[in-house]
Amino acid sequence: MTGNSLKVLLVEDNALNRDMLSRRLDRAGFTVITAEDGAAALDEMRANAPGAVLLDMNLPVKDGWTVAREAKQDPALAAIPIIALTAHAMEADRQKALSAGCDDYATKPIDFPALIAKLEALL
Amino acid sequence: MNMKRFTARLSLRARLYLFSGAILTLFAINVSTHLWGSLARTESLVAYRDTVNAAQLTDDLQQSLEAARQQVLVLSTLRETTDEPLDANEQTAALANLGDIEARLRRLGTIGTEGTEDYYLRLQESTTHLISGWRSFYRQYNDTDAAVDVDSAVNFNDAIQRLGELDQRQEFLAIQRSNAIDRTIALTDRITVIGFITTIAVTLVLVVLLIRATNASLQRLKTGAQRFGSGDLTYRIKENLEAGEIRDLAHTFNDMSGKLQLAIDEVQSAKADADSANAAKSMFLANVSHELRTPLNAIIGYSEMLQDEIGDPGEVDRDQFRHDLGTIIFSGRQLLSLINDILDLSKIETGKMQVSLEWFQPSALIFQVCDALSPLVNQYNNKLELEIDSNAMDEMHSDPSKLQQIVTNLFSNACKFTEDGIITVAATMDEEWLTVVVSDTGIGMTADQQSRVFQAFVQAESSTGAKYGGTGLGLAIVREFCTMLGGHIELESKPGVGSRFSVQLPVDPESTLANA
Repeated sequence: MTGNSLKVLLVEDNALNRDMLSRRLDRAGFTVITAEDGAAALDEMRANAPGAVLLDMNLPVKDGWTVAREAKQDPALAAIPIIALTAHAMEADRQKALSAGCDDYATKPIDFPALIAKLEALL
Repeated sequence: MNMKRFTARLSLRARLYLFSGAILTLFAINVSTHLWGSLARTESLVAYRDTVNAAQLTDDLQQSLEAARQQVLVLSTLRETTDEPLDANEQTAALANLGDIEARLRRLGTIGTEGTEDYYLRLQESTTHLISGWRSFYRQYNDTDAAVDVDSAVNFNDAIQRLGELDQRQEFLAIQRSNAIDRTIALTDRITVIGFITTIAVTLVLVVLLIRATNASLQRLKTGAQRFGSGDLTYRIKENLEAGEIRDLAHTFNDMSGKLQLAIDEVQSAKADADSANAAKSMFLANVSHELRTPLNAIIGYSEMLQDEIGDPGEVDRDQFRHDLGTIIFSGRQLLSLINDILDLSKIETGKMQVSLEWFQPSALIFQVCDALSPLVNQYNNKLELEIDSNAMDEMHSDPSKLQQIVTNLFSNACKFTEDGIITVAATMDEEWLTVVVSDTGIGMTADQQSRVFQAFVQAESSTGAKYGGTGLGLAIVREFCTMLGGHIELESKPGVGSRFSVQLPVDPESTLANA
């Protein structure tokens, strides 16, 4: 698995899901750093320059759409690919995430192999 | 203009009757003028003919009188010279001739007498005298002793003169009457022509007015019908400009348009209701989908991870496994309670949630719930305080299963959001109301959170469900149940201090409603 050593930022406020996904990504060979809210996510992006961001949309402090918009407007962060993670499954939700600046979109429950494929495509 | 306004006020039928009547009257006047003219002409002609006949008779009489005088003069001369008697036949014929003259004179007195009466009386006087003289002459002719006076020249000339005067008078009258006939003919002809032309002109004017007035009315109706047809149902045909049938028709049109507008409004409002109901249903489905996916994400994710890990070489971490399995079970239960809550909420929203009232002891029910949920109290090291005086509480008439769910939801919420604190459940009852208060010393809520917390699918924070469990439907169901049982729920809360939910339910909704 080429590129698996790359760093991935997982932004998720739900503790169970954060724990589960970070462990699975770790098992898949990624280096995982986590954030629990939108503001922390932007801080982590600036501090650790992750290769990709998995971004939940319903976040406290600053929601996922705002995080994506601000990241894409910041020249230092604009190049980092963002994959939106959300339980909203409607086509309109997907469009909303993509127009906020997300590079890809994954619906919960997460299809893990597909998520890995998306990550590898972006990295 | 006045005429127009007047005709506009008449019904169509009245207009037609009025105008036909006017035209018929004009024709009647025309015909009677013509008849009167004919009559006057005939009368004048009869008078003229009588005058002409009388003049003829006068001429005849003049000749007869002259002939009779000649005869008398001849006989008189003969008698003086020859003394030859007159035979009986000749005498009778002469007397008959005189009788005939007298008869014709009388006849002259009966024809064409108008305007000649004086002349005739004078003639009659002088001829009577003359003829009676001649009659004596013939009767006494053979009597030689008798003195025969035949010198009647004065009388004769007088009679002839009178006859001439009568003749002149008759001639004058004849000319006069002939002129009168000419004038009568000219006058009646003129009246007939003028009457006919007037009739045609008036008829034309009336027809034009009728057509215009009717056409204007029909135009207004047509305009109205077109406006209605193009969908402008607020348009109204001006009814006060019309009269009779057209006014009725305009009114019917306006009425129809009003009813159509009402029907359209109803359909549109029904459509708006259906649209908003549809939108609410779509929203509900989207929310349900979202809420189901969250626990499923944990269940599927942890299960797949365990499946992967079980294939790993080496010793498995049993504690880790136990923890992960516990997470799967927790999420599964959350999914189950979510499905139950969704079904309840769906029943409430479709009006299929039944309320079955029965008499029961609420204090016993509340104790049962608190007892059953006591493990939750200990979960975060909380203490439970019960402030319920069973002896002070009677039975109530309500739905026990709904009260049970209300208390369960409020109690488990209080346990979830409180750590190392106190959960208090208090219940009191007066004659009308049961009051249940569930308060905690937990995390509390801001005013904004309090305003949203009773809405379906809303928790104070989106992270709340993951951290504390729950579906975001519990308080929505509690509020709906309170309303269904005839009561209400109030919330007081402060962040960091705690929350206090106060439920009031009627002891007997039937008597409470009766009192209200």
